Amino acid sequence: MKSTLRNMVLSLGGLTAIAAAALAGVNLLTREPIEAARKAALREALEAVLPPFDNDITPDTIAPGIVAYKASLGDDYAGTAVESFSDNGFSGRISVLFGFDAEGAVTGYRVLTHSETPGLGAKATDWFAAEGTGHDIRGSRKPLRVKADGGDIDAITGATITSRAFLEALRSARKGLKKDEK
Amino acid sequence: MNALKVILDGVIKRNPTFVLILGMCPTLGTTSSALTGLSMGLATLFVLICSNAAISAIKNIVPDKVRIPVFIVVIASFVTILQMAMQAWVPALYAALGIFIPLIVVNCILLGRAEAFASKNSVWLSVCDGIGCGVGFTLALTVIGAVRELLGTGAIFGMQLYNADFGALIFVLAPGAFIVLGFLIALFNRFKTTE
Repeated sequence: MKSTLRNMVLSLGGLTAIAAAALAGVNLLTREPIEAARKAALREALEAVLPPFDNDITPDTIAPGIVAYKASLGDDYAGTAVESFSDNGFSGRISVLFGFDAEGAVTGYRVLTHSETPGLGAKATDWFAAEGTGHDIRGSRKPLRVKADGGDIDAITGATITSRAFLEALRSARKGLKKDEK
Repeated sequence: MNALKVILDGVIKRNPTFVLILGMCPTLGTTSSALTGLSMGLATLFVLICSNAAISAIKNIVPDKVRIPVFIVVIASFVTILQMAMQAWVPALYAALGIFIPLIVVNCILLGRAEAFASKNSVWLSVCDGIGCGVGFTLALTVIGAVRELLGTGAIFGMQLYNADFGALIFVLAPGAFIVLGFLIALFNRFKTTE
């Protein structure tokens, strides 16, 4: 078809309007399911890292990039989950959700996003919760470091940088938690 | 030109990955396992069928000089629709494919088929071409993903075939993608030419 200014403006403008309308429609249709899926994923992660709780948890930003979720069972304080991060991973940011019980001991964690090397750094997703090993962080109440830095946690074999970043995220989570209590 | 021939051409003679060597970014980036390769292939298949059909339907009212922007608007709309739908109903899969879903917009297979086929043929044949190329792309990604997963972690589709400790990690990483892709292109073309 021969191009004139008139038909170019009309066809491109018309098509863009149709596309915008279609996208608005789909957005309307998917907005609620997307929100629900996001909430379900968060709820599921909180249940995985925290001791049993039954309240409706609301997020509370306690420091830049650090979000706390306070949990309670009945009237008792059950613990807090803290979403924390470190920018010193082997391939950028690692963000982790840590669970702490009422006494401040680690109850569990969930790596939310990372781009660590598969097979090495990516092992961080379950390495630090391996039962009966020198790298189980659960039950700990103090700031942790890897053995190479004079701490007492075994780093992931071949991924010391990832392990450092992971523990750094844990330390900032704990720091945020302490500040929040004061 | 019948429908079946168009489809088969897309899968074999003009296989986007092994013959045309198009869409290399998602091919290398999403094939670290058979499942992610397959999902990426299916997502592209969906967008390819929709965009081919839509572009073919409007080909007679689009002036030549603005056809490329029109193609891009059509493709980007379908990709965004797919992206929102995946976020809503299969969030885990969306998280696994991440940035590669929005990047379908710039996948040259889509623009290539729009320009070379859909803008010249009927809606029905364009849909067939979309199915053919999409299936060809999906099969290629799934095979690459399966080989990389098997050699790298000893599993296919998460099913463990031998101990993961014997896997060669390099196949899961970027260099493995190039190595496997190269060997598969060679194999595919060997059998294609003997036919």
